[in-house]
Amino acid sequence: MKKPLYGTILGGVLGVFDGLSALASAPETAPQIASIVIGSTFKGLLAGLLIGFFARKVKSLPLGIVFGLIVGFALAALVVYMNVASGQPGYYWQILLPGSLVGLIVGYATQRHREQPA
Amino acid sequence: MSTNAPGLSDQALERLRDAAELPEPDPARYAVRERIGRGGMGTVYRARDLRLQRDVALKVLHVGEDSGELAARLTREAGILAHLEHPGIVPVHDVGILADGRPYYTMKLVQGQPLADLAPGRSRADLLRLFARICEPVAFAHSRGVVHRDLKPHNVMLGEFGEVLVLDWGVSKRAGQNDSPAASNAVATPDTGAGRVLGTQGYMAPEQARGESAYVDARADVYSLGKLLAHLVSVSDAPRMPRALAAIVRKATAPQPEGRYMDASHLARDVQRFLAADPVEAHRENAWEQTLRLYRRHRPLVLLIAAYLVMRLVLILWRARTE
Amino acid sequence: MEALKAEDTAERDRAFNALVEAYWRPVYKYLRMRWRLLPHDAEDATQGFFSRAFEREYFAKFDARRARFRTFLRTCVDAFAANERQAAHRLKRGGGAEHISLDYAAAEAELAGAPPPDDFEKFFAREWVRAIFTDAVAALRERYSGAGQEVRFTIFSRYDLAEGDAARHVSYAALATELGLTTSQVTNYLAAARRDFRALLLDRVRALTATDAEFREEVRDLFGFDA
Repeated sequence: MKKPLYGTILGGVLGVFDGLSALASAPETAPQIASIVIGSTFKGLLAGLLIGFFARKVKSLPLGIVFGLIVGFALAALVVYMNVASGQPGYYWQILLPGSLVGLIVGYATQRHREQPA
Repeated sequence: MSTNAPGLSDQALERLRDAAELPEPDPARYAVRERIGRGGMGTVYRARDLRLQRDVALKVLHVGEDSGELAARLTREAGILAHLEHPGIVPVHDVGILADGRPYYTMKLVQGQPLADLAPGRSRADLLRLFARICEPVAFAHSRGVVHRDLKPHNVMLGEFGEVLVLDWGVSKRAGQNDSPAASNAVATPDTGAGRVLGTQGYMAPEQARGESAYVDARADVYSLGKLLAHLVSVSDAPRMPRALAAIVRKATAPQPEGRYMDASHLARDVQRFLAADPVEAHRENAWEQTLRLYRRHRPLVLLIAAYLVMRLVLILWRARTE
Repeated sequence: MEALKAEDTAERDRAFNALVEAYWRPVYKYLRMRWRLLPHDAEDATQGFFSRAFEREYFAKFDARRARFRTFLRTCVDAFAANERQAAHRLKRGGGAEHISLDYAAAEAELAGAPPPDDFEKFFAREWVRAIFTDAVAALRERYSGAGQEVRFTIFSRYDLAEGDAARHVSYAALATELGLTTSQVTNYLAAARRDFRALLLDRVRALTATDAEFREEVRDLFGFDA
């Protein structure tokens, strides 16, 4: 499997999970859960793709992790910014922390992943 | 009468033995320097090749043969080996018979340390990688139809620059082994005599020890490699074998050749699978073993995801408290 | 070895004596160590063993296809010693057989202070090697003195027999001056003596083995023995 594809899948799965977990961590968001999950999944897919491409170009575990962390944080920050801009609560911790960690995980995984002729 | 001559001391015995076996090859060609090793089949000396002005290892077999057949066989072997070019195979330069009938051959003098002298306590993964490299030249030879027949820690040298070299190709084993039925019977003798101290016995495949030379093929080497693998693991920092690795050793050292890996490359591949935490051919794992292996293989990832989940939990708890 | 089964009694006796010569020391020491016999008892047992073996033609039963002679002989000794132990109070000497004169005191001296070995098989083999070498040295000395070539034995013993490190550093030139020879004579004599010695060793092993294969195995042990 190629690294961008692997990153995208992993990011997507984690994104879905990340979105669904809002039900537990912020039950008042339940009415908007569909859009939260879609948004979170999209964010995960995008992060996974970017990090996967990066892993293809740069073969370095530390750099991959740092890049993943930055991408995860940046995309999460964007979501927080959009929340705040639309007058909703920011959920800084609930979004920034998991988002960054998901980026880090994808960064690590894509660096360790071995591309094999499928 | 000599019956009552005083017995020799251990020291005198050693010196006499050295003296009695000192070879006298053509003085125009070789000058024998010192003994560098001794084994069940022969003794190895450092010698100067006077014609080519280089040092070589000269191995002299303990016993010769009365017939001229041996010389012919040695020459034939050397011919085969001359075509076996691989960085892990130490080439034979020359073969011949000493005036007293003992066969000898010369080969490249390898600087390094025999595997037998390897200090214990290195990491198992390191030694398994080393093992895979030992398999390379053997696998190459197998692909060319050549069987080593005497693989053991003394025949593997670790060069000063990380080279892995396999010595004593074919010649030594075949040279000393009479293939006539009578000799095969003698080899088949259930004997645990002192000659076995030399260690080769523990590495020799059963069919080979029984003298069934007609059945000896690459799988006999696989057997010896399996023993070598077990030896390496036993001197590593983790001598207890996981089940998959034990299964590899078991398969390589199966009593019947049919139960073993086909050749050295198949064995090496399975060891590499083990190293990569892939499922090995020799062992069908159950669900629990599979989970454990996958966990080991992806340990950091599993731990990261666990950390993520813990963080999620902490966020939930934190929110529950602040409300 | 086949001579042990010969019809001609003189030939059989000769073969038997050669065998005693090679094996009595290993047998004696083995009885001392493995069976923990006291020196005197071990002497009697060694004597008794060979007498009994001669009388009853033990060794004629040897089958080269089943084991090496050396291993066979050791199992005979074990059987003999076990039997003797059971009948401890009626220790018999070989009835009527001539008493062989052996220098047990010397063999005992060689054992002095040695701890019991942990592997009797190896121990027996090593003592056998020692006996063969000792015998071959004596034979070499005899051969040279018979031919008026004592100087060859002198050179050989100075280089290969002397104990201690001093012997290692004798130069060919110094020895040549000492013996009134040229240096090349010294090296030639030494090489010849070593060749002869090797041949004598092999003769002995050949005489003590039945088949070519057994001979080769024993030579391998003689030289490949892990010291």
